[in-house]
Amino acid sequence: MGPSSTSNAGTGKPPPPPRTELDGFLAGAGHKVRSSDLHHVAQRLERLESAMVSSPSHVVSDLTSDTVHYNPADLVSWVDSLLSELTHSYHHPNNSSAPTSSTSSSSRSLPVDLDDLFAIPSAANNWLQPEMPLSQPPQLTVFTTMEEDSGIRLVHALMTCAELVQRGDLHLAGTLVDEMTALLTRINTGCGIGKVAGYFIDALSRRVSGAGSAPASPHETEILYHHFYEASPYLKFAHFTANQAILEAFEGHDCVHVIDFSLMHGLQWPALIQALALRPGGPPILRLTGIGPPSPDGRDTLREIGHRLAELARSVNVRFAFRGVAASGLEDVKPWMLQVSPNEAVAVNSIMQMHKLLGPDPSPIEPVLSWIRGLNPRIVTLVEQEVNHNQTGFLDRFTEALYYYSTVFDSLEAACPVQPDKALADMYLQREICNIVCCEGAARIERHETLAQWRDRLNRSGFRPLPLGSNAFKQASMLLTLFSAEGYSVEENEGCLTLGWHSRPLIAASAWQASPLSAAIAGGDN
Amino acid sequence: MTRDKEEKRRSVLFINDHADILLEILKRLDGRSLCTAACVCRLWRALATADSVWEHLCLRRIVSPPPSSPGSSVRPVVSALGGYRRLYMLCVRHLLTRLDRDPGGRWRTSSAWDELQLSLSLFCVDYYERLGGRFGDTAATSSLMFLCKPVNV
Repeated sequence: MGPSSTSNAGTGKPPPPPRTELDGFLAGAGHKVRSSDLHHVAQRLERLESAMVSSPSHVVSDLTSDTVHYNPADLVSWVDSLLSELTHSYHHPNNSSAPTSSTSSSSRSLPVDLDDLFAIPSAANNWLQPEMPLSQPPQLTVFTTMEEDSGIRLVHALMTCAELVQRGDLHLAGTLVDEMTALLTRINTGCGIGKVAGYFIDALSRRVSGAGSAPASPHETEILYHHFYEASPYLKFAHFTANQAILEAFEGHDCVHVIDFSLMHGLQWPALIQALALRPGGPPILRLTGIGPPSPDGRDTLREIGHRLAELARSVNVRFAFRGVAASGLEDVKPWMLQVSPNEAVAVNSIMQMHKLLGPDPSPIEPVLSWIRGLNPRIVTLVEQEVNHNQTGFLDRFTEALYYYSTVFDSLEAACPVQPDKALADMYLQREICNIVCCEGAARIERHETLAQWRDRLNRSGFRPLPLGSNAFKQASMLLTLFSAEGYSVEENEGCLTLGWHSRPLIAASAWQASPLSAAIAGGDN
Repeated sequence: MTRDKEEKRRSVLFINDHADILLEILKRLDGRSLCTAACVCRLWRALATADSVWEHLCLRRIVSPPPSSPGSSVRPVVSALGGYRRLYMLCVRHLLTRLDRDPGGRWRTSSAWDELQLSLSLFCVDYYERLGGRFGDTAATSSLMFLCKPVNV
């Protein structure tokens, strides 16, 4: 089962176990079943169960007491023998489940065994109905052998399709997408691998058909962002950690200026304003410059957010001034627009924005980093997704994205309180997935890079790292205990903090400072 | 006969006559009991809903606040954001239950003051979101909803 050696050679993964090998788990329990027979066994067991449920009870009790079982280790024939006993004594209409469109497999020379994909009978759907005789809480996903099998097959099919796309074979990829969509109907797409696979299949189909992804309006993006903020701890972690670093950097300064690369609804700043209000020695004069997309319908959203923040600052007696800079992308922002005055301490805050500048040559990241450096900031806070989605090879990118977003969706399912939040948070992530998979060139803006890559880049551009400190760590840990899901973990990584799910870091926060000019000029390429 | 009865009445302590003692007692209650106390009668309600009692409750675990931020400087900020009672109800209460349930986690190195700071930050975000309602933002839902969700034990 699974893709052939072609894809294995490409990605360097170990080859799948040979078809005749015994399944390890069941072998431990004393049953010898070949891996290739697993779905057959599951199917038979399922029929057996429905037969037992619908048979009159005397038949079943006869069956369980009178049937002689030869060699129970041979699970396959044991189940078959039971089933034939039952159907013999009580006629039960078998589901005739002919594999669908298996004839199509012979007409192509695809490296994957397509009839594997279709050997799953439609009776598998019965597993997904909650009216099973076992009492299970409805929230738990019923993961049976069948469904796990389908999930694994789906993942393999996705990889194969991605490889086809990388090779440029869009026609075949398209057919595979259709088949995967059919496979998807057999899996629970409300959660788990089914949901993630659904999004990736959708993105692949858009890529193959050339439809591309519709760009979101800024208003929609803000709403989705807000719901993502509420549904998961990632953005809260980002905001609170950045605020703590900025607060510590502003110690002793009376005129401070914060430049926010993406204002959205300004959810990060109330906490900073309040912390500044309570800091020893009293609050400084705070200026905030918020960069955001221009609003289309005449409303000045930036200004409204500024009003709200000003109102809050007024209530807590912090002298506050706001300035909005409307720009559709960071590359359009020029330093003179920010009006930084020489006697104030500047903080530059970028929450998941810098990766958008890593586009194809001429890449705008270098000029932007250099004008940031030119502002001589006290601190630059950088929070980015901890994954490499900027590889040139499509298959590598696709694989990374699949694993990354599976983890993120897992964490969301465990943590999310409110239903509308969860659906919209899912949409927020879905847009990212779509952009990573469908788009190329300048249209692909979700070019995430890892912390190590950012470190490298920033060191070369004349910045040096500023360690985040134990206060930030304590605060992040406390914040996590408030989320009811147990899987989140905060780790410290050479002065930076990462938040992850079950020890896979998903988002990384770091702080930087401009290196002294002489060092930057002398050691130009550190 | 009536004089005996009067003397008896005078010797029984009627707590409502001694509001200062009542206040001292209320200051030592936990949140839930304080809310129950507020339902007894008008005097009790007035005393139990006074912000100073809730301030005492929120700051109770803090043995010594940092000298740079005495209670007097925190108070105006908290009042501006909605008061200590609201702070307790919305943030401190949940924070304490969650932290108590965490068996020996790393957070225990943080002090009660850090916990209060975190509560204040979350409280401030909530205030800001409520401001959004006034400005006609229809998408203003509370980001503190995650605190109300019961913890999976």
